[in-house]
Amino acid sequence: MHLLLEQILNGLAMGSIYAILTLGLALVYGVMRILHVAHASVYTVGAYAGVVIFHSTGSLALAFLGSMLVCSALGVLIERLVYFPLLKQPPYVPMIASIAVMLTIEELIRLVAGPQILTFDAKLPFPSVDLAGVHLNSTLVAVYVITAAILGFLWYLTTRTEVGLAMRATAQDMPIAGAQGINSHAIVSLTFVIGSAIAAIGGILVGIYYNEVYPTMGAVPAYKTLALIVVGGMGSVWGAVVAAMLLGLAETLLIGYLPVPFPRDALAFVAMIGVLVWRSEGLFGSR
Amino acid sequence: MSGPLLEVRDLAIQFGGLRAVDGVSFVLEQGEILGLLGPNGAGKTVTFNLISGVYKPSSGEIRFAGRRIDGLAPHAIAALGLGRTFQIVKPFTSLTVLENVLVARGVDRYGRAASLWTPWRSRRERDAAMALLERVGLADLAGRKAGLLPLGNLRRLEIARALAVGHKLLLLDESFSGLRHEEIARLEALVRDIRAQGLTVLLIEHNMRVAMGLSDRIVVMEYGRKLAEGSPEAIQQDERVIEAYLGRKGEPHAS
Amino acid sequence: MNGYAVTILTQIAIQAIVVCGLNVIVGYAGQISLGHAAFFGIGAYSAALLSTQGGLSFWAALPLVLAICAACGLLLGLPSLRLKHDFLAITTIGINFVVQAVFLYVPFFGGALGISGIPRVQLFGAALKGTRYLYLCLACLALVVGVSWLFTRVFAGLACFALREDEPAAASMGISPVRFKLLAFMLGTMFAGLGGSLYAHQMRFVSADDFSFPLSVSFLAMLVLGGMGSLAGPLVGALILGALPEVFRPLANFRILFYALILLLMIRFQPGGIFGEASLVRRRLLPRFLGGRS
Repeated sequence: MHLLLEQILNGLAMGSIYAILTLGLALVYGVMRILHVAHASVYTVGAYAGVVIFHSTGSLALAFLGSMLVCSALGVLIERLVYFPLLKQPPYVPMIASIAVMLTIEELIRLVAGPQILTFDAKLPFPSVDLAGVHLNSTLVAVYVITAAILGFLWYLTTRTEVGLAMRATAQDMPIAGAQGINSHAIVSLTFVIGSAIAAIGGILVGIYYNEVYPTMGAVPAYKTLALIVVGGMGSVWGAVVAAMLLGLAETLLIGYLPVPFPRDALAFVAMIGVLVWRSEGLFGSR
Repeated sequence: MSGPLLEVRDLAIQFGGLRAVDGVSFVLEQGEILGLLGPNGAGKTVTFNLISGVYKPSSGEIRFAGRRIDGLAPHAIAALGLGRTFQIVKPFTSLTVLENVLVARGVDRYGRAASLWTPWRSRRERDAAMALLERVGLADLAGRKAGLLPLGNLRRLEIARALAVGHKLLLLDESFSGLRHEEIARLEALVRDIRAQGLTVLLIEHNMRVAMGLSDRIVVMEYGRKLAEGSPEAIQQDERVIEAYLGRKGEPHAS
Repeated sequence: MNGYAVTILTQIAIQAIVVCGLNVIVGYAGQISLGHAAFFGIGAYSAALLSTQGGLSFWAALPLVLAICAACGLLLGLPSLRLKHDFLAITTIGINFVVQAVFLYVPFFGGALGISGIPRVQLFGAALKGTRYLYLCLACLALVVGVSWLFTRVFAGLACFALREDEPAAASMGISPVRFKLLAFMLGTMFAGLGGSLYAHQMRFVSADDFSFPLSVSFLAMLVLGGMGSLAGPLVGALILGALPEVFRPLANFRILFYALILLLMIRFQPGGIFGEASLVRRRLLPRFLGGRS
C-alpha cells in the first residue's frame, strides 16, 4: 500500500514533467497547426543553459531566468526563420523542417558542449514533505508546485486576460482573428515565447530530477509528447495535460507491476493508437 | 423511362441539435431544370450534399432513376450518372484543365478492377475530354494548370467535370456566383444547351434573375423546410417567399 | 570499381527502391507516412525468416514477402481512412515504434540479437555478391521505377492524383477514397518490402535497430528533397542523402550537422524538392535540356 502510494506520487511527478514538456507543443500546435518537434531540442537547450549558468553563478534563480530568456529567443527565432515562411506549404514540410532543426540543435550542442553527461546537482528551494509515510524529496515537491504554478499561470492568462483571449481567437481561426484587429503574427511569436520558456523550466527540472543533462535528452520526449497531444485531442491544451498525467502514471505503475518486459517508450504510442481507434479526435478533441 | 428521375421524400438530417433539413419532399422529372432557392441557411447545399451522398440522412428517402441512393457513398452515386459542382470550387490544382476533365471521364472505370489499369492518356479519352472543354469554352486553356485559373474559368471547369460524370443528372451549386455579366450570359446559354441535349438539372442559385430565367420549376426552402413550390411566376408572387427573402438580412440579387 | 563504392551504391539503390514506395503513398496519393521504415523492416524480417527458418530461396520467398508487406500495408493503411493529416502523421510515427518494439520483444523475431546467417541470393547456381548484387538491386530499381511509371499512366494512378488534390471532388467523380488510399499503401509497402528483402540478403543480418523512426524521416527527407510525385525524385533524393554522409566522412564529427543543415536549407527554400513543380531545376535547367515542355 505504502509502495503503491509512492509509485502513484512518482507517476504524478513523471506526468507533471510530461505535462510541462507537452504544454509548449500543444500551445504552438494550437496557433499554428505545426508539429513543433524541435520543441524538444529547445527543452534540451534549456537544461544546458540552466546547468551552465548554475555552475558559473551558483544561483538557481539566475539559471531559471537566463535559461528562460535563451529558450524564448531560440523559440521565436525558429518560428520566424523556419515556420512562418513555410506556412503555405503542405503540413509535412514544416514537420520535416522541424525535425531538421532538432537534429541541427542537438548536433550543435554535442559539438559545443561535448557528448558526455553533465550533472546538475542543485537543490531546489522547496521543503521535503512526508505524506502518509512516503518521503517526498524537495525535487519532487518542486515538480508538483512548479507544474501547478505554470498551469495556474496559463489558465489565468488564457481565460482572464486580453492577450489570452487573442491567443484563443487566433488558435480558433487565424484569418478571422486577424480581421478583428489581432496581430496574429505577434500572437504566434508570443505563444512561442511562452511555450519555449516553459520548456526551459522543464529542461532544468528534468536535469535536476535525474541529475543528468546530455545532448540527446530531447529525443524520447519529442515523440512521446507528440503522442500526448494526439491523445489529448489536437487543439486541446488541457487534454494534453490530462493525457500527460495519465501517461506518467501508466508508465510508472506498469513498470512496477507488469511481469513482461514491455518497452516503456512504446506505451505512449500504443495508448495513442488505442485512443484513436476509440475516438478519432482524441480524448478532448473537437471536430 | 417512367417515373421521375429524382425523388426526395421526407428528407431530414440532424446536426447535433439542429435539423438542417426537416422533412423536405420534391420530385424532379427528366429533362427539367429545377431551381432550389431560399435565403442563407435554408438548407439548400445540405440538401445537395444529401443527394450526392456527402451526408447520410437521418430519415427520409432519395430515389434516383427508381433506385434508393440515400446512404450510398458519393463515389457510388457518381457512378450512377449523377454529377455535381461545388459551391466553393474544387479544382485539381496541380493537374491541367484537360487532366481535370480526364479524371471525371474515368467515372465508369474506377469501380471495376479490370478497367483501373487501362491508360488514361489515350486519343479517345483526350478527344472526348476536349469536346467537353469546347462545350464550356475552355478548349484553348486545356494545357494550363488548373490552379492558375480565375474563378469564372474554374466554375466552367467544374461544370465540364460534372458533365463528364453526370450523364443523367447535374447538380449545380451556385455555379453563377461571383461571375461577371458576360460570363453569366455564357453560362446560362450553356445550361440551356445541356438541357436541350437531354440532361436534367437541379440548381441552387442566389442570383434571382438567373434562377427565374433558367428554371422550369422552383422549390423554395426556409429553415430546412419546403416553403413553396411552383413555376417561377407563381413563386415570384408568393407572399411567403417574398417575406422569407425580404423579412431578414440579405436581399435577393437585384436583376 | 572498388568494393566500398559498390557497397554504398547498393545501399543507395535499395533505399531508392524503398523511397519509390513512399513516393506512391505520399507523392501520388497524398497520404502522409512517417513510418515507412517499419515496412522496410517487415520486408527485411520476412525475407530473413523465410530464408533462414523457411529454407526458401530469395526468389521463392519474394512473392510471400510482397504479399506480407501488402497485407501489412493494408492493415496499417486503415488509419489513413479515418484520420487526417497531423493525426495520421503521428499515428504513422507510432506504427514505427510499435513495429520496432515487436521486433525487439517478440522472441520469434530474435529479440535484441536479430536474425543472422541470411544466405546470399543465388542465381543460376552462383551466389551474387559485390558488383553482381549491385546489378540485381539496380534491376529491381528499374522494375520499381517502371511499375511507378506505368501506375501514373493508368486510371488507378490518375485516381490517386485526384484524391491527393481534392478528396471530395474526387469522390464526386466515382473515386472511392478507401479503395485508392489502400491501393496506394499496398503498392508503396510492397516496394518497401522488396527493398527490405534485398537489404536482408545484402547485410545477411537484420536487427530491430535498423528500422527506427529516424530512418523513416530519412526516407521522407529523400523523397521531399528529390521532389515528391516525380519519377526521378526518389532516385535523386536517395543518391544525394545516401551519398552525403560518405562525402562528408572526412568531416567525421560534423557529418550529421552538415546533413541536418542541408536538409533544413533545402526544405526551407525549396520545399517542392529538386524535381518538384516550382523548383529551380524544373524551371531553369530542364527546359534547356528538353526544349521547353516541362
